[in-house]
Amino acid sequence: MKQWPLVLLGFVVIAAWPLLTSDVFLQRLGALVLLSAISASAWNLLGGYAGQVSVGHSVYFGAGAYASLVCFTHFGWPPIAGAPVGMLVSMLIAAVVGTPTFRLRGHYFSMATIAAAELARILAANVPLLGAAVGLMGPPVPRSAWDLSFISPIPYHYLFLAVLTLLLALTWQMQRSKMGFYLAAIRGGDRAARSLGVPVLRYKLYALLLSAAFTSLAGSLYAVMIGFVDPDSGLGILISVKMVIVAALGGAGTLFGPLVGAIILIPLEETTNAMFGGSGTGVTFIIYGAIIVLIARFRPGGVADLWHSLITRGRRGAARGA
Amino acid sequence: MLLEARDLTKVFGGFRAVGGASLDVAEGEIVGLIGPNGAGKSTFFNCLAGDNPPTTGTIRFRGQDVTKATPEAHARAGMARTFQVPVTFEDMSVAENVMVGAFLRHGHRAAARRVAEEVLAFTGLDHLADTRAGSLGTPGRKRLEIARALATEPVMLLLDEALAGLTPAEVRLAIELVRRIQQRGITIVIVEHIMEVILSLAERAVVFHQGRVIAEGAPRDVVDNPEVVAAYLGHHMKRVRRG
Repeated sequence: MKQWPLVLLGFVVIAAWPLLTSDVFLQRLGALVLLSAISASAWNLLGGYAGQVSVGHSVYFGAGAYASLVCFTHFGWPPIAGAPVGMLVSMLIAAVVGTPTFRLRGHYFSMATIAAAELARILAANVPLLGAAVGLMGPPVPRSAWDLSFISPIPYHYLFLAVLTLLLALTWQMQRSKMGFYLAAIRGGDRAARSLGVPVLRYKLYALLLSAAFTSLAGSLYAVMIGFVDPDSGLGILISVKMVIVAALGGAGTLFGPLVGAIILIPLEETTNAMFGGSGTGVTFIIYGAIIVLIARFRPGGVADLWHSLITRGRRGAARGA
Repeated sequence: MLLEARDLTKVFGGFRAVGGASLDVAEGEIVGLIGPNGAGKSTFFNCLAGDNPPTTGTIRFRGQDVTKATPEAHARAGMARTFQVPVTFEDMSVAENVMVGAFLRHGHRAAARRVAEEVLAFTGLDHLADTRAGSLGTPGRKRLEIARALATEPVMLLLDEALAGLTPAEVRLAIELVRRIQQRGITIVIVEHIMEVILSLAERAVVFHQGRVIAEGAPRDVVDNPEVVAAYLGHHMKRVRRG
C-alpha cells in the first residue's frame, strides 16, 4: 500500500483530536465518530467485502447493548463484562438467521434481515427482563473504575480508538488472505465462485459471524458510554440503516471507507441535532435520504471510489505535464 | 474412463431439455459437443459441471459418483469450467481473479500468487496482471476464465462456448491455447457452435439433437453423417431456402 504515510497522518490526527480542543461537544463528537466507524467497519465485513447487504445489523448491535445492561441490571456486573456475552449471543443469532437467509439473493436477503431485526425489536419491547418498552439503565454512579463511567468523553475516545484499530488490523489481514479473496469472489458472483471451489455458504457465514461479533461489541461500547438502551436506541431500524450509509458513503468493501463515512456523516448529524434540538431528528432522516440518492446516482463506490479516480486523474495529469 | 455420464435426463417443468444422453470421456482427450441451438448441449454440460444436477441418470468422475455433487465439490475433485457468458470478478484485478482459483489448492497468499503468475504467463495474460477485470473485452474475459479455471489445477476442463464471439484471428489464438492445455495432460470437453473449431480441435465429436446424442465419432465423419446434416445443417438449409 502506497498510502501508508497518509494513513499514519490520519491516525495521529484522530489520536490527538480530543487533546486539540477543550470543547466537550467536539470531544464527544470524536468518540461518536469512532463508535460509528466501529459498527460500520463491522458491517463492512459482510456488507462490503462479501457484498451481502444486511439491513438488520441492529440485531447484533442491540444484542451487545442489551447484554451489557442486562448483566449490570440482573447480576450487578460492570457493563463492559457483558460485551463477551453479547458477542456470543450475537454469533448464535447470526448462525440461526444466516443459515436460511444466505440462500436468498440481493434484495431478498436484505429484506429478510430487516424482518429478523424488526422481530427482535418487537420482542425486546415486550420482555420485562429486557426492560420492555422502558429500556435498561447503566450504573447511575460508577462503583469502580471497571464500570467505565466517565464524565469526560476522552477515555471513551481512546477505548473506541483501540477497538477500531484492532478491528481494522484484523480486516486488513483478512482482506489479504484466502478469506478476503473468497469474499470478493462471492461479491463478484456466486456461480463463478462456486465453480472455482469456493464454499459460498460457509464463507458467507464466517463473514457474518465475524461481523456480528464486532457489531455487538460496538453495541456494548455504546451502552457503556450512554448508560441506557431501549428498543429504539438499541434495535431500531435506523441503527442498521446508519451502518449501511456510513459504510457506503465512505466506500463499502474498502478498509478505511467506513471510517471516512463516519467522519463525514456523524458531525453532520450531531450538528443538525444540536441546531434543531428534539424536533431535529427528522432532519437526520432527510440527510440520510439525500445521501442515499447522491451515492446511488453519482458514486456507487462512495468516497473511496472518488478518491481513487482523483488520484488516477492526478497521476495522468502529472504524466502529461512531464 | 475419466468421466462416465449415463442416461442423463433433465426436465424443466414439462420440458425435457436432455432425454437420456450418455457420454464417456477418456483421459487426455478433447471431446467436442455440438448441435443446433436448443439441442440440450448446454444443459447437459451444466449437469456435468454440477451446476444443475440431472433429473435422472448417473455421472462418475475419476471413479466417484458426482451426480448430485455441488459445483464446489466438482472443483475440488478436479473438474474446472468456464461459462458461456463470462462471469469474471469485475472489481478484482486479472491476477486476483486467477488467485481465487489458485487458493483452492494453496492456502497461503504467496503460494497462490506464484501459481497465478505461472498460469498468467501460460495463458499470455501476464502483461494484464494488474488490470481491472471489468475493463477487459470479451476475448480477454474468456481467456481470463480459462486462466482462473486452470489455477484450480484441474484434471478436466469444461469449456462452454469459450470461442464464441471471437474474431477469426482470436479464434486461432484460442485454439492454440486449448491445444497447449491438452499438452499439459488436461482432458477437455468443449461445447461449441463454430464447426471449424471442432474440426480442428476435437478428436471426437458428439452431436446433440433434441436432447439426445444422435451421432458420435471423428469430427470429419460426423459432419458427413446424413442424420447430422438433417438435424443440424439441413435445418439451416431449409431456413435459407425459405428466406
